[in-house]
Amino acid sequence: MKQRRNWLATFGAVSLFAFAQHASAQETLTINSFGGAYEKIHRELVITPFEKMHNVKVEVVTAYSADTLAQLRAQKDNPQFDVVHFSGGLEHAAAAEGLLAPIEPAELENHSQMYDFAVAGLDKGIGPTYSTAVIGLLYNTDQISEAPTSWSDIADPAYQNHVLLTDAASNTYGMLGFLMINKVAGGTMDDIQPGLDFVQKILSTSTIVSKSPEIQQNFAQGSAWIAPYAQDYAFTLTKSGLPVKFVQPEEGGVLAPITVNLVAGTDKRDLALKFIDFSIRAEASSGWAEALRYTPTNREAKLSEEVAAQVVYGEGDVAKLNTFDANAIAKKRPGWNEAWSRAIAQ
Amino acid sequence: MSAGAWRANREPAILLGPGVLFLLLAFFFPAFQLLAQSFLTFGTEPVQFTFEHYAKAFVDEFYAGVALRTFRIAFTITAICLIVGFPLAVIIARAGPILRASLIVIIILPLMTSVVIRTFGWLVILGPGGVISWTLEQLGLIDNSISLMHTEAGIIIAMAQVLLPFLVLTTLGSLSQIPPSLEEASRVMGAGFFQSMFHITLPLSVPGLASGSLLVFALSISSFITPSLVGGVRLQVMAGSIYQQMTGSFDWGFGSALSVILLIVTLLLIVPYMILVSRAGGRQ
Amino acid sequence: MIAATPRWVMALATTFLVAVAAFMLVPLFVVVASSLSSSAFLVFPPPGLSFRWYGEILGSEAYLRAGWTSLKLAMVTVVLALALGTPAAIALSRFRFAGRATIASIFLSPLILPSLIFAIGLLIIFSRYATGPSFTGLVIGHTVITMPYVIRTVSANLADIDPNLDEAARVMGARWWQRYWLVILPQCKTGMAAGAFFAFNISFDDAVIALFMRAPSVETLPMRIYSTLEFSPDPSVAAVSSVMILMTMVLVVMLSRVFGLSKVV
Repeated sequence: MKQRRNWLATFGAVSLFAFAQHASAQETLTINSFGGAYEKIHRELVITPFEKMHNVKVEVVTAYSADTLAQLRAQKDNPQFDVVHFSGGLEHAAAAEGLLAPIEPAELENHSQMYDFAVAGLDKGIGPTYSTAVIGLLYNTDQISEAPTSWSDIADPAYQNHVLLTDAASNTYGMLGFLMINKVAGGTMDDIQPGLDFVQKILSTSTIVSKSPEIQQNFAQGSAWIAPYAQDYAFTLTKSGLPVKFVQPEEGGVLAPITVNLVAGTDKRDLALKFIDFSIRAEASSGWAEALRYTPTNREAKLSEEVAAQVVYGEGDVAKLNTFDANAIAKKRPGWNEAWSRAIAQ
Repeated sequence: MSAGAWRANREPAILLGPGVLFLLLAFFFPAFQLLAQSFLTFGTEPVQFTFEHYAKAFVDEFYAGVALRTFRIAFTITAICLIVGFPLAVIIARAGPILRASLIVIIILPLMTSVVIRTFGWLVILGPGGVISWTLEQLGLIDNSISLMHTEAGIIIAMAQVLLPFLVLTTLGSLSQIPPSLEEASRVMGAGFFQSMFHITLPLSVPGLASGSLLVFALSISSFITPSLVGGVRLQVMAGSIYQQMTGSFDWGFGSALSVILLIVTLLLIVPYMILVSRAGGRQ
Repeated sequence: MIAATPRWVMALATTFLVAVAAFMLVPLFVVVASSLSSSAFLVFPPPGLSFRWYGEILGSEAYLRAGWTSLKLAMVTVVLALALGTPAAIALSRFRFAGRATIASIFLSPLILPSLIFAIGLLIIFSRYATGPSFTGLVIGHTVITMPYVIRTVSANLADIDPNLDEAARVMGARWWQRYWLVILPQCKTGMAAGAFFAFNISFDDAVIALFMRAPSVETLPMRIYSTLEFSPDPSVAAVSSVMILMTMVLVVMLSRVFGLSKVV
């Protein structure tokens, strides 16, 4: 071990500059966040107040869910993260590999305020869901005067050549949207063929993208009229001035949890738990809804009327959302990705 | 091996040593950490040795199709860069200082823009109602608006733009070493413009063209961002499939197997090419 | 020289140049135009003109700090890539030995292997044998992926140069360092310059290795751009690219004023 370290030390010396890390007396906690506007709000709502409260430094690495999981796996022996955030269900894959640590309900003061589903997986290493995105249909109000009512409306000939689908293999929201389409088309978690058939039918007259900036560009350039995607992103688009609205079809929206998880093997377990507890408190939950239109998962979260009208809000409404067993998704994902890629390949 | 052989080889060994050592430690050693997983099962205890990932890659026609597309695109891009880049390099080499500087700035500017934002530019140009579609419509060549987004042609156009500088600047290095008097002499001796071009300029720029085309080819093979943004998810290339396996399906064994295959096939194509070129250009 | 070229060739060359220039510049025109957009999202044609996105990035500490990190990173990378790549290129193009073509093509491997594989591997190594990702890790990663460019450009450069000059120096009794310093290195100049330019650019635009080898508080410009695009896809990223375009042009003009145009390009 010692010897292996030597060549790295030599490399370090070769690289001309000595980039000494500041050795600070303050305790530090390393987390990931998702960048851009999300990270800005994350700092305002959670990170900065937490730093002040506990006199610690929180180091933020910008990394999306998939990259974070890849990073965690590569760093299994010596994780740099103490707390990680995931959206769209990847915490189940991470927990199954033993990359996340279980949490006792008693270790979180705010535990009792949370909706039941939000803390259901703590014993398995699934961290609490601190807010959720809701997946439904985004549509261009300049082109579509009457809001679409069903998931199957994306096959409406009136929208031909203007349907925007999100890649299910590379995008977790895309996968959740696809599973909903599959469900509406008569499929189940054991049989996604109806969904694949449905997508193949509209394939020649729709566009498939994989990243959210592409969704924005397609709406901005006017080529997209209707797209299954998340409520919060619809708000991002509306805020930037695009004529986009979000609608929950009659079959219901899909719940896409955003979780805060404890990394297995962190040597700062106590501080990490404090951070997780701080992340799920009611003020943070309502703050996310105010700023970016995520659905709160804390019973005590209070929203203004305006905001409440724009998010799925309240235990009853949240319970009506469609959920897909994230654990099953994590297990079946490789096979589904494969089937999806083949189905859409040109 | 005699003492003389060592003396003859000592200098290249010293010159190559640091680079090779660095490549071994900083590239092959880390890459091996993952590539080794291509022979291992995942999720079983204990981990077992297996060829299943390779078997899957070879048997499955889906991946054969992806591989074929990758190499087809890479060859086309390389050919386009050679056809456009060689005359461009010749013109730059002979132009006056101002034209020369302007042309060099023009070809390197695409490299100075971030790949994502450059692709946005292509989206506007290649997309439905974009510049290309509009021009073709005005010329009466097409009736309906067409889109080159999410087509192989689109990938090739967008990639060629950013890879062209690699060919041109490398060839320019070769061309600037050719004494202009050589061509003048051939012209004076009665050779036509194209004769002197083919018999003098082209052969002398072979090293530059070879190096440049190798860079372009290697980069076309491994590029991921431009093909995925311009080509879309329905037109997968190898690098895209590998990304997909690593960060979408988290099947690192299969992703690594695809990478090993990509690396070996590409090297097998490149080695004969290099030997061929060094014989053809063989001035040493 | 051009005077000796037939007129029809000149006409052909001019048409060709205009076409190439259009091909290279039209997408950039779109980028620059959208950066001047008054709208809050990337769209072309822009609905109105405004410099607000330039104000946004130049007033943003995060953008400036990321730009500075990327600049430092690219400069250190260039120095290392030149230091390791140039001797290797000299060996490959000046000496004949068994397996030369094979070694030469192996040096291209970092370009062929998708950088994600290498990036994850590097992260595994750095987490296992060092303290995790760091600036040093980024430098090493970038040196690996940029060294091939230096090797190729310098090799191409040297292949065309008369090796007899070096031989003559040797015969005349020049010491090895005199040969390298006075004869061989000056011959590599053009190739080194091109290689350095590529290395700088690749390092400056890399987002894959940066994503995995990035330590907290070491944010490069491409990382900044990507994370901005994901959640707030506004024209500020087009403004960053436009600033880069402008800086390139200014740099070329400045260098040519100082050193004379023919020395620079």
